[in-house]
Amino acid sequence: MASAGATAPPVAAAARRPRSRTVPTWVWALPPVAVLGFVFLYPLGLVVQESLAPGAYADVLASASFRDALVTTVWLAAGATVGCLVLGFALALVVAFVPFPGARAVSRFIDVFLSFPSFLITLALLFVYGTVGMANGLWTGATGAAEGPFHFLTTPWGVLLAEITYFTPFVMRPLLAAFSQLDTAQLEAASSLGARPARIVRRVILPEALPALAAGGSLVLVMCLNEFGIVLFTGAKGVTTLPMLVYSKAILESDYAAACVVAVVNVAISVGLYAVYRVVSRRAGA
Amino acid sequence: MTSGIRFDGVTVRYGDTTVLDALTLTVGPGEVMALLGPSGSGKTTALRAVAGFVQPSAGRVHIGERDVTDLPPYKRGIGMVVQQYALFPHMRVDENVAFGLKARKHPRAEVPGRVAEALEMTGMGAYAKRHPRELSGGQQQRVAIARALAIRPDVLLLDEPLSALDAQLRSGMLAELARLHRELPDVSLLYVTHDQVEALTLADRIAVMDKARLQDCGTPQELYRRPRTEFTASFVGNANLLPVRVAADGVDFAGTALKVPVDGAAPGAAATLCVRPHLVGLGDGPNALRGRISEVQWRGATHRLYVDVGGHRVKADVRELRDTPPLGQEITLHFAPEDAVLLAAGVNDG
Amino acid sequence: MLVHSRGGRWASWLAFAVLFVPLFAVPLLVIVAASFSTHWSGAFPSGPTAEHYTAAVRGESLQALTTSLVTAAAASLLALTLGTWAALTAASLRGRGRRILDALFVLPLAVPSVVVGLAVLVAFSRPPLLLNGTRWIVILAHTVLVTAFAHQSVSAAVRRLDPVYEQAAAGLGARPSYVLLRVRLPLLLPSLGAAAGLCFALSMGELSATMMLYPPDWMPLPVLVFTATDRGSLFTGSALAVVLMATTLLVLLAVSRIRTRASYR
Repeated sequence: MASAGATAPPVAAAARRPRSRTVPTWVWALPPVAVLGFVFLYPLGLVVQESLAPGAYADVLASASFRDALVTTVWLAAGATVGCLVLGFALALVVAFVPFPGARAVSRFIDVFLSFPSFLITLALLFVYGTVGMANGLWTGATGAAEGPFHFLTTPWGVLLAEITYFTPFVMRPLLAAFSQLDTAQLEAASSLGARPARIVRRVILPEALPALAAGGSLVLVMCLNEFGIVLFTGAKGVTTLPMLVYSKAILESDYAAACVVAVVNVAISVGLYAVYRVVSRRAGA
Repeated sequence: MTSGIRFDGVTVRYGDTTVLDALTLTVGPGEVMALLGPSGSGKTTALRAVAGFVQPSAGRVHIGERDVTDLPPYKRGIGMVVQQYALFPHMRVDENVAFGLKARKHPRAEVPGRVAEALEMTGMGAYAKRHPRELSGGQQQRVAIARALAIRPDVLLLDEPLSALDAQLRSGMLAELARLHRELPDVSLLYVTHDQVEALTLADRIAVMDKARLQDCGTPQELYRRPRTEFTASFVGNANLLPVRVAADGVDFAGTALKVPVDGAAPGAAATLCVRPHLVGLGDGPNALRGRISEVQWRGATHRLYVDVGGHRVKADVRELRDTPPLGQEITLHFAPEDAVLLAAGVNDG
Repeated sequence: MLVHSRGGRWASWLAFAVLFVPLFAVPLLVIVAASFSTHWSGAFPSGPTAEHYTAAVRGESLQALTTSLVTAAAASLLALTLGTWAALTAASLRGRGRRILDALFVLPLAVPSVVVGLAVLVAFSRPPLLLNGTRWIVILAHTVLVTAFAHQSVSAAVRRLDPVYEQAAAGLGARPSYVLLRVRLPLLLPSLGAAAGLCFALSMGELSATMMLYPPDWMPLPVLVFTATDRGSLFTGSALAVVLMATTLLVLLAVSRIRTRASYR
């Protein structure tokens, strides 16, 4: 203050000075945005550019393999999502509301399960339902038949089973979080008023769980659309999804233009759905 | 050196809501000013405007002779203690207390001495190496005060500092705060509270806030004995607020003429008469009121009587009665003319 | 709470066990069992052996494990730095700037990993930066893939951080940079640890983008698991998968131990 005596600037100017020295906040956003832009947005832009090669869209969109992959991807993702929602809701219900010793261990197990890669499930299913796996082994042992009845592993049904198994915990986790916030006094009040469990689930628990179900469900839908490891490990020629098609076009056939076209379609579908997921989960406060 | 705080027409708006409306108030150097009011009255906003956590939409805030309105919080040189203590959980007690000194690049050699001094002053010297989570609520609050005092601020802001403590600890801490202020007579204290006991005990002056506005300001005695508004009268201590009509040399209450100082109020005007319940006595006297007992509450040392006088309820706190009077009994109350305060009616009955 | 009769409770537990055990517990057990066997004839594995493990910690397999560990460590550190920076900046921005920044950093979550792999391959096989055929392209792709997760979990933690600490620090005269270093980052440390663990686990198991990018001398463990099972060596693949899971779990455990020591409440 003493140094300001000689020139005696107006009070307002003196007060504003410290502000002008500090960097505006948005400048701090530039480095991370620049890095992300270079390693993610710029490559993505190149993919879009490559996909615009003459005739690429027409060729790919007209091909049967693309249309098959699109249909397979969508119905697998939709089916797996429904399966995960039903299974996840039922299992979370028991863990949260019919507590048993070890229920906490189950929640921990789910967290651990989420940290494993998806292809492990397919690998395990090979041992369980594969041609020489447990299920067929039990069958041939019991009936004396030459081979067992389980051959679905290399069909879309095998992928569906693996996806439901792998992604159900992704539904259970937000559900368990939502259930833990549910006031147990509500349940006790409802059951003291004579409501049966099924009614309590329908009238009290389900409405509370709906946002978490919606958020978890749309996340799983997006992840299923993008799943690659499960399909790759299944090794079935009959099951081709969009990510699989991207891989085989680019790496096996070195047809980058076609791979980029499929990639653009895949990104469009999943980013669109992900936007829906963000809106839904924000509305749910998750 | 002059410190103290000056609010100069400070207004804070969030969108369409005004949370602080043109507050003008001066806290003198070394003065303890309590901002008293219910929640949402704007008292905390006023304090946060001093600290720099809210930006006034209009008006200026001065600390000492500095206009701090446009300064960021870290350049204001204030000490602040909040309800939740806000001790840094990852630092020991002594590190917490040293934080302000280190952040201000205080000469390193002096820091331990200043920390020890601040902890001694709050009686926490023995806990220097503990972590906050190992301390009780009261101890944490003492550390928070020590942390604020270590930087030797001219101004100490206290935001409901005792409301997280239980009643017994609270009265102990209140005495501690009074002692601390006697030891640091130059520090101005701005003390936000909704508790009239805290305000009456600690403050040199009380600023009563309601609905974003300053309602009244004065010493505790002034506010208690001569409240200017109905809000002050009912928020600072208990009050009978009787609807009356001004007469020539007194007032008319429910058909009874009462002798009270009218201070030039226009005869015939509606007004409110404020009489403290503990100044209402039993039996005949000047300003006698006859009525029936509608409710009796025993409160240990006193009895609270609710008496129906011409359709109005009059409260009287009297020394414990040996025989509790039956409900419905006729009773006479009185009060001294000088114990009544005439308030303009309807100013604050929102 | 919900089911009060003893029978009803047992029925729900039974239903739970019937669904949960075969679907989630059995697959992991099966992989562990297979990793110790030479044959799978009939219902159960046979020919107990530890041979696959002795192979799994030697030569090519050991190299794949270290490759995965180095990739995961590098990618999670880079992603954590980038994600934390973005999350902290977003928290101090307001309105539209904040929404754009948040949306930008979650975008990689929605883009299929295979496409991220393809995009990185396309972009870094040409100037200005030629990375194709080097380990850096794998690390880069992993960083892109896990940055979104780091950003998400750090920004959730930043939102949960009580502003009262920053304000107390600012009131005591600490400049924003001092508050960040001495108050905010230390308080965020447990969450940063959790985010790092998540990123590490995801990177360890990453297969989709890696399949598009890995050079011969930088083959992470999941790729090796795939090539083993693809040529029919299911039991070797299982042993490698168990090594992968165990390493991931060990690192997660270590991180969570550091976290508990660093959590203050």
